[in-house]
Amino acid sequence: MAYITLFAILALVPIVFDDSFLLNQLSRYSVFAMLAVSVSLVWGIGGILSLGQGIAFGLAAYGMGMTMQMQFQDPITNPIPSFMLTNELEHLPLLWEPFWSTPLGLMLAWLVPVTFFVGFGAMMFQARVAGVFVSIMTLAMLAAWYSMAYDMQPFTAGFNGISPPLPFSIFGVDIDPYSPLAYWICIGFLGTLTILTKLLIHSKFGLIVQATRDDAERARFLGYNVAYYQVVVFAISGFIAACAGICWVMVVQYVSPTSLELSMSVSAVVWAAVGGRLSLMGAILGAFLVNGIQSYMGDELQQVWMIILGFIFIGVVLFLPKGLISIFEYIFSIFDSKIIKQSKNQTENEAL
Amino acid sequence: MNLLEINSITKRYGDYTVIDGFSLSIKNGELRCLLGPNGAGKTTCLDLISGRQPLSGGSIFLNGVDITSSNEHQIARRGIGRKFQIPAVFKELSVMDNLEVAYGKEKGPFYNMFDPGNSSRNKKIQEISELIGLQDRLNVISGVLSHGETQWLEIGMVLMQDPNLMLMDEPTAGMTEKETYKTSQIFNSLKGRHTLIVVEHDMSFVREIADTITVMHMGQLLAEGSISEIENNKKVRAVYLGTEGIH
Repeated sequence: MAYITLFAILALVPIVFDDSFLLNQLSRYSVFAMLAVSVSLVWGIGGILSLGQGIAFGLAAYGMGMTMQMQFQDPITNPIPSFMLTNELEHLPLLWEPFWSTPLGLMLAWLVPVTFFVGFGAMMFQARVAGVFVSIMTLAMLAAWYSMAYDMQPFTAGFNGISPPLPFSIFGVDIDPYSPLAYWICIGFLGTLTILTKLLIHSKFGLIVQATRDDAERARFLGYNVAYYQVVVFAISGFIAACAGICWVMVVQYVSPTSLELSMSVSAVVWAAVGGRLSLMGAILGAFLVNGIQSYMGDELQQVWMIILGFIFIGVVLFLPKGLISIFEYIFSIFDSKIIKQSKNQTENEAL
Repeated sequence: MNLLEINSITKRYGDYTVIDGFSLSIKNGELRCLLGPNGAGKTTCLDLISGRQPLSGGSIFLNGVDITSSNEHQIARRGIGRKFQIPAVFKELSVMDNLEVAYGKEKGPFYNMFDPGNSSRNKKIQEISELIGLQDRLNVISGVLSHGETQWLEIGMVLMQDPNLMLMDEPTAGMTEKETYKTSQIFNSLKGRHTLIVVEHDMSFVREIADTITVMHMGQLLAEGSISEIENNKKVRAVYLGTEGIH
């Protein structure tokens, strides 16, 4: 219920504030919030501390970037993106061919990361890799994808990245990154994904996943194939991160290896941890809050931002292990117990 | 046909043999106690049956099906439930959730995403929680339960699985006398309806519940028989019980 209220309030923002810059900022935050939700699911619920959520985010971002770039290209007059020409490519690489078609491109932007997460997850969890070793493996895999995006200059424009000249267009509608429409799409994705994830956590599946987090061995002896469950959770979190990547390129109209950088994936973990990794609401709150602070902090402090973030992180871990959301939960619990007391008093009075 | 048939299983760690050609057969509805001094291979034996460790030799049949090289979860689905020596429950979940996770024959992730739950499950949770005496503590996070209650919860989880065969590793370890007595009542109520293998050190508890006792020593079968036969067996007294008899 609280979730529906939150998303309803967020959806109303464009009607109240007519500020395209603010909308674009908020769209970006909601993309980060999606990433934080994916971390909350895989780490908070599944107990898998993945530092590789950026893989799904980045792969989807590149898929979306390529789709948008090809929307600009013309098959006859201008079939090859300009950065390829400067890299002396004479034909469009085979890798890029499917992106002529927008639906196919979008589908690949989702399918490639999710398929990769299924395969990578199956490899890790079948071998019963757990705990910090999962973090190390996902980290290494992220670094590998980063160098690939960085080094394959003719295909990915390397460090410069791909900047599609036109906004994303679908069903004949151009989605201007600064428009309310783009904002609503981002909030819509965030809301739908969060509520579906919430339902998933509350299903028996969610319960079993939490059980595997607490004691994988015990769950195995109850007949659950723990690796299978972990792969499914990992892949779902990859899907959420992929949605974030797609929305990201839609609102920034740019994709570069920074989306596959370590700091991106680690930041997502920090957002979730600061807000409260056990709660999706906490993760969303963390993403909005941390990024909001960073944006409005002033230019002088940007250089020391990582230090400030580090202090916030340490402070939360030390004093609020369940994240900032635990403050709200505490306030609500006082509120609740007061109401219960009141109603108790009332019934007692009536009884008298 | 016997429910469980163990044919001369062997387990080696390098040159060191823990289980050495051990055989055992368990009939349906039997309650078998497994005794032996520390290091006799009792827990390892349960590990081999439940698939926690691979065998070095021999074979294990459950209901005539070879389960020798199956995985833990496959063996569990065939109907073997296991309680660990150090009680293992899901500490961050409530008692109710612990029991619910243990319930159900469908173990696939996609089925369980859409499992609406049903009344027979709730009835079973009610029934089992009453049996283990935790019916008033269903909403308590199981990490805060006392040691005895945790043991009972784990026994309850094994019961929720409704297995053909239950492997109970030291169910009374760390329990007070009163708790042990209650546990023996639980076990006696399971007798006949379920088949159990119980590893236990507490002789008064064994006397309460056991029909047949198997004694292991150095990974081998030392003796098998009723409680009085075991008490009067010279070999058993020599290696395990001491000359002063059973306490």
